[in-house]
Amino acid sequence: MQMRDLASSPGEWLKGTGPQSEVVISSRIRLARNLIQFPFLSRATEEQKQRVLDITHGHLAAIDMTKGLTFVNLSETDPLDRSLLVERHLISRELADGDWPRAVAFGQTETMSVMINEEDHLRTQVLRSGLELTDAWHQIDQLDDALEERLDFAFSAQLGYLTACPTNVGTGIRVSVMLHLPALVITREIEKVFQAVSKVNLAVRGLYGEGTQASGDFYQISNQRTLGKSEMQIIENIESVVPRIVEYEKIARTKLLAENRPTLEDRVWRAYGQLRSARTISSEETMHLLSAVRMGINIGLINDLAMATVNQLFIHTQPAHLQELRGEALDADERNVERASYIRSMLNGT
Amino acid sequence: MPPILCQICKKNVATVHLTEIIKDKKREIHLCEECAGKQKGVAFKSHQFSISDLLSGLVNSQAAQEIAKMSQIKCPICGLSYLDFRQHGRLGCGTDYTVFKEGLMPLLEKIHGGTEHMGKIPTSSGEAREMSKELLELRQALKRAVETEDYEAAAKFRDQIQALEEGRNADA
Repeated sequence: MQMRDLASSPGEWLKGTGPQSEVVISSRIRLARNLIQFPFLSRATEEQKQRVLDITHGHLAAIDMTKGLTFVNLSETDPLDRSLLVERHLISRELADGDWPRAVAFGQTETMSVMINEEDHLRTQVLRSGLELTDAWHQIDQLDDALEERLDFAFSAQLGYLTACPTNVGTGIRVSVMLHLPALVITREIEKVFQAVSKVNLAVRGLYGEGTQASGDFYQISNQRTLGKSEMQIIENIESVVPRIVEYEKIARTKLLAENRPTLEDRVWRAYGQLRSARTISSEETMHLLSAVRMGINIGLINDLAMATVNQLFIHTQPAHLQELRGEALDADERNVERASYIRSMLNGT
Repeated sequence: MPPILCQICKKNVATVHLTEIIKDKKREIHLCEECAGKQKGVAFKSHQFSISDLLSGLVNSQAAQEIAKMSQIKCPICGLSYLDFRQHGRLGCGTDYTVFKEGLMPLLEKIHGGTEHMGKIPTSSGEAREMSKELLELRQALKRAVETEDYEAAAKFRDQIQALEEGRNADA
């Protein structure tokens, strides 16, 4: 699959068809693994890192489950393409900006991906739409087993899978759920969520932006601990908390609609109107307006717009995507114009 | 009773009182907010401040001797020193977990609230797999026994675990 194709097609998880998708955007599970025969990244030589790459590439190409994956050697990829992959949540910013042998392999639906030589030798990831953690676990577990049949992972009976950072040792698992909580932000109840979540050793952070004011009202909840519990226990921990937050958000939405309908409608329709007419628009403003529109669809105010389109807009209005689509580099002002043009074409069909 | 003065500046009234217990030795520390902040570089932002942050800062400096001792240790496989690790937060290879065990265990306890793997085991070599599976089952049985206060059974499981782990290390 070419980068150009990637820029124009949406990942499976953006379709917005998963469980609880009125509030839950996506579920993500990541596993960290290291090959036993090489030092971790901080002490491995350039040659050793290249060996890790070559060995992993070879096996990925041979395993049934991963045969169809596109393998991208990031040393041979230009910065724009690398940024595209970051915007698609396929690689981290650190991996994109690195200058050592590293790569990523991902499937056509972008459900499954494998980062090579990020913080650990291998980081496998499964990304699903909505709240779908158990299914995601089965999928990644299968992938992990398939890799394990051919590779020897650093593992100790006492401490489990050995990782470069002690914060990941044991299961090496990071389970996260991305939530859209615009109503809780409006009613200023988002702090309650933070408190409830930290009580069970989970971390919350705004996805775009800093601290409590998350741009686009997106929040990510993930586990902080990876040792001392099984993978399923960690997943169940998050799965027990998320439905409650979903409830809080839904109740807040209903409440706003009942007590403050004109204000809410205005917010939603004004946002929709601006998106459909603006001639230049920043990422920040786009997030803000799309968040209101997304909520508008969920509470039944907007009926002529598909959720998949909105989800796609969140991703495709990012800088690298816009430039890839246009086929040329653009400066900030040009991007703002391009962004507005792209949004208009998606929303107005012109 | 007169207010306790800060042990560092001896001028301000102490408002931060800590009791620190390291290896059966107890000491009480009384600091004013200013000195506590300056001393350990801990920022006193009301919504971010937590006792555990302050504690770890203090314990680290009080345990400076221990760290100095451990800093000399270098992993024979990857060459990473404990000091390197403390500075960058990254380990160099799997063996580091054994070489730096003394320093790592309390850290793992602090981060994860546990120091024993309860999750998936590699489907690798049959013997290693059997051994690991047995260990995992024993650990879970021990946990259950302790939870149900069946301490006799717990002691039995603990002994079995120790025997297995010793046997395992002998082979490694």
